[in-house]
Amino acid sequence: MAGFDKKDAGPALPSIVLGAAVLVFLILAPFVLSNYWLRVLTSILMYGIVAQGLNIIVGYTGYHAFGNSVFFGIGAYSTGVGMALGLPFGLALALTVPVAVVVAVMVGWPLLRLSGHYFAIATVALNMAMMEMVINVGGITGGAQGLALPINPMGPAMLYKIIYLVMLLILAGATATVYWLDRGSLGYALRALRDSEQGAQVMGINTTAMKIMAWAASGSFTALAGGVWAYWFTFIEPSSAFDINISIKGYVMMLMGGLGTVFGPLIGAAFLELFATIIWGKFLKIHLLLLGMLIVLVVTLMPQGLLHHLRWFKRRGKPKEVIR
Amino acid sequence: MLFQTIINGLLLGGLYATATIGFSMVWGVMGVINLAHGAFIMIGAYVGYWAFAHFGLDPFLTIPLSMAVLFVIGYLLQELLLNRVMRTSLLLSLILTFGLDMFFINVVILLFSSDFHSVNTSYTGSSLKVGTVFIPYVRLLTFTFALILAGGFYLFLRRTRAGHAILATALDKETARLMAINPFRVYSLTFGAGAALAGAAGSLASMLFPISPIMGREFIGAVFVITVLGGIGSVEGCVLAGLLYGLIQALASLVLGVSYQNIVAFIIFLLILVLRPQGLFGKRFYGEIS
Repeated sequence: MAGFDKKDAGPALPSIVLGAAVLVFLILAPFVLSNYWLRVLTSILMYGIVAQGLNIIVGYTGYHAFGNSVFFGIGAYSTGVGMALGLPFGLALALTVPVAVVVAVMVGWPLLRLSGHYFAIATVALNMAMMEMVINVGGITGGAQGLALPINPMGPAMLYKIIYLVMLLILAGATATVYWLDRGSLGYALRALRDSEQGAQVMGINTTAMKIMAWAASGSFTALAGGVWAYWFTFIEPSSAFDINISIKGYVMMLMGGLGTVFGPLIGAAFLELFATIIWGKFLKIHLLLLGMLIVLVVTLMPQGLLHHLRWFKRRGKPKEVIR
Repeated sequence: MLFQTIINGLLLGGLYATATIGFSMVWGVMGVINLAHGAFIMIGAYVGYWAFAHFGLDPFLTIPLSMAVLFVIGYLLQELLLNRVMRTSLLLSLILTFGLDMFFINVVILLFSSDFHSVNTSYTGSSLKVGTVFIPYVRLLTFTFALILAGGFYLFLRRTRAGHAILATALDKETARLMAINPFRVYSLTFGAGAALAGAAGSLASMLFPISPIMGREFIGAVFVITVLGGIGSVEGCVLAGLLYGLIQALASLVLGVSYQNIVAFIIFLLILVLRPQGLFGKRFYGEIS
């Protein structure tokens, strides 16, 4: 069943060479780049994780988790609270995965029964409800005042390198998961579910379990990104951790790169983040305006994503309808 | 105190209802969740503020102006941008309208700065006293105007040819097409009309709330909850749900405290979605074309 709808058996040689070169660059980057560009690159990786997480639930499963930033906030807060309780960073970060899985299962059970727009909007409401909850709980979460994480003793230069490498590792994990989904039988089941839920059910696929599993995986990666982000910024507050713009940006990146593809979200993340960085510097006052315009242009002119258009030029074929 | 809370909640609920109708219709008729709806309300408020600040016109008088401005904006957006996206994927419209929301907010920041403004008419502070309850004139008037607009829109849908075309397209696009109705024209009309109602609601809101470029974001939460509560695409459902929402919000802040207002709203929203997605009063409506 592996690679069912693929024409070729594996990636072509040029892609392998290019991929290897990018990987070598990414691993060496913290030792050669200036702090400024390391920061930009870290943020590209972070959004890459968010976009890849969305790709699992949106691109492969067909559930538009518009408010996936709820997991980003959950990750940030469970790492933050864990560290405030005295856990080391690594352990606190690792614990975000079970937390995200528990939330995805508990909330996914009722919510993943909703379809289309209803699910999309329900996730947005979930994000808002969680944010208000953290504000109102107060106590160890710091409530509306925010939460300061313990400062690490090794100094910022070292910390930023470590943050970068951890982000890279998580992104690699997320991308490997998506690659495995793309090729393996689980991904085949998910795509069947995306294209026709009833059809998948008839074929003996346990759709409920599949959907919850996909959302749990999606949420876990997003939560990990949130956890690293919390330590990176060392100060978190509800409105920035549960910022809906995080998942919306991830969504745009995924769309730009091409949803339901392995590397599309990464290309989208790199493109949009670099674009945003350049705009930031040049047009301080109107950068959000330009970003809004860019979103409008991307959606109206190339809803299938950059990767799709590159392939289209290569094959000179007619672009096929990918998105429902 | 309890009675005062109920009155306040209901009066605000009427405004929320009218702020929601356009959003609900757009969702119901073409399955588009218009995230720029909050920006439309905000622009309506700025039109009201602009006319008040420059010409001293009462915002109640500039409602037609707000409606006209937003009808044009809405109609053109649907014609030029949204109709293109609807041919590919309805869910892309979510992203597209978010981009538009961002765009409008930042244009208004450029034009008016991000400071807060307010509209103070000669009767802003005064209220009508009935027994022990105070009813501010502004709130009473905005409530009345809101209900008149909602009623007018209801009649427009049920009594005019254009209204019938909108309803027909919502129910069955293909059959409507056989009756020589151009669905994309109907979509533009619906989007324009929805934006116009949002503009009117914005003009009304300019008298009650501080006016800022992000004021629409405060509204959009309420708009979502009321849409789902009332049943998507139902004008009468919107009005009932709007009043109910205002009441629940007011009572929640009285009993639990102001900070719990939003939690209560979102929890109601999630419960309705899971237990009764067709809304409290609605039957399963249009908008199911995903």
